[in-house]
Amino acid sequence: MIPIPATTPMDAEVLVIGSGAGGATTAAVLAEAGFDVLIVEEGEWVEQGAVVPFSLEQMDRQYRSGGVTVALGLPSIAYTEGRCAGGGTEINSGLYRPPPDDVLHRWAIDFRIADLDHDEVRAIANEVEQAISVTTVPGPPSAPSEVLRRGAEALGWQNSEIPRWMKYADNDPAKGQRQSMTRTYLPRAVDAGARLVTGCRIDALEITSGRAERAAMTLADGRRGHIRFRHVFVCGGAIQSPALLQRSHVAGHIGRSLAVHPTVKLAARFADELNVVDDVPVHQVKEFAPDLSFGGSASQPGLVALALSDQWPTFSRAMTDWRRISVYYAAITSEGRGRVRAVRGLRDPIVTYGLTRRDRALLGSGLARLALVMLEAGADEVYPSFRGAPLVRKRSDLATMQSTFSAARASVMTVHLCSTVPMGEDTTKCGADSFGRVHGTANVWVNDASLLPTAPGVNPQGTVMALAIRNARRFAATERAHV
Amino acid sequence: MASESRNLPLDRIVGPFAEMLLAADLPQLPPQRRTEVVQFIQRRACAMPSFTRFGVAMIGLFYRGLIGTPGGRLVARFLMSRSLPVLGEYPRLIRSLGYAFVWEHWPDTTPTGAQR
Repeated sequence: MIPIPATTPMDAEVLVIGSGAGGATTAAVLAEAGFDVLIVEEGEWVEQGAVVPFSLEQMDRQYRSGGVTVALGLPSIAYTEGRCAGGGTEINSGLYRPPPDDVLHRWAIDFRIADLDHDEVRAIANEVEQAISVTTVPGPPSAPSEVLRRGAEALGWQNSEIPRWMKYADNDPAKGQRQSMTRTYLPRAVDAGARLVTGCRIDALEITSGRAERAAMTLADGRRGHIRFRHVFVCGGAIQSPALLQRSHVAGHIGRSLAVHPTVKLAARFADELNVVDDVPVHQVKEFAPDLSFGGSASQPGLVALALSDQWPTFSRAMTDWRRISVYYAAITSEGRGRVRAVRGLRDPIVTYGLTRRDRALLGSGLARLALVMLEAGADEVYPSFRGAPLVRKRSDLATMQSTFSAARASVMTVHLCSTVPMGEDTTKCGADSFGRVHGTANVWVNDASLLPTAPGVNPQGTVMALAIRNARRFAATERAHV
Repeated sequence: MASESRNLPLDRIVGPFAEMLLAADLPQLPPQRRTEVVQFIQRRACAMPSFTRFGVAMIGLFYRGLIGTPGGRLVARFLMSRSLPVLGEYPRLIRSLGYAFVWEHWPDTTPTGAQR
């Protein structure tokens, strides 16, 4: 599928800004319901296979700012955002978790979300799982994934393989093809008549008396123009969506409650070669969920070097053995919160995040427990990613490691960003209503991870897609009823 | 310094520091490779979000001024080795980008930067 060329001006009945998990599903539902849909995406269309997964070239072409984005704080938290057709679904690990019932229940009560019917959301999630071919890896797990399983089993800790949105030709685990948005919901949207324009940044919405009518845009070649529409869905993700609303002078609870799953990492060296350069482990250890979970990271040699770089003088010698090393993470459900602030004159928003004392302690104990999993799985050496970290070879080293750990000296990062425009009827803490319409506006919707009231404690994209479809269907039904 | 940062491109602020850091960390990295790595770091620095770019420019100017003074390189190397809250983040960033590039492109590089 080739995106159509941008023209100035453009118009649409429904403008969808962003083409990731929220935008693509929204566009497909609305186009199939008969709306005239225009999808605009700031990044480019990159065919799968055109770049090596998790490589620097992929970061150049499909990540915002080449992947060098950070939420400022002590410590600062590195994060990544997709900036390409398909958004984050093109670049993440593709692990799928359905919306957790207990989390939906808590959100409905705490944020006063109307009609958040678990059965409806579950049914939509089932549709999503079919549409994006959620499945487990055929055959045995990869060696880095097996490490997580083996270590957890030795400790008697809960663990499981997390299914992914992936199709495997000939049932061969080496022939997996990611069923991201460019393979699934975006083609569906286009087949139903939606238009997709790439290389188009929306600078601001022009809103008068709560009604948005035009979007000011800048194309990749520098041309400026505008798009007219009747309704707009902002689906740029948890950083860009609130930033756009703030640039458009939308007031309310916008960008004030960024929630993430902060992670810390370690590298572990084993007796046998196990490094897989272009894929990630699919097992997760959930013994301490939702507070704490462990999984595997991309581990091409550049990323192994990155994991060792905080304690380079003592860890660097391990690089000669990178084929026997893989990188793992401990992720926490954070009590801290962050902010997204658009500042006049700056193209990009300022993002900040503050960890709480409990978060810092949990990161430390999480890293120690993860190191224990590695030792139980047979690791010869474990290299925690924080400055001043000791080398861990045996259980007795773990106490030293935990006492030396400081979150301020760790490389903390995250890929799960949400909650910057929480949904619900409680306007003291929600930026949008129970179906994503921005409070105080008549025709501006948000439909992406920004709506999740808190970080869900699991990979969030399944929840994002299910809620986006729920909201888009409600919009379609309501609009058609009005007509 | 603020007015200098407006006039001085970020790549020219970052470049000399990255060069110095890589020479110290990876002394056996061949010069042509080091040049490639520095160019990559410069490109990435220039692609950073606006506010981060500004912060990096400010700290970069500090280090740039420092390494231009007599004995400044020694002081800069001392600072680079410490876990300082803000000043320490700059060498950490440059180091991260540099190492990621080196080992992605030449995975059998030794820890001193030599080719195997």
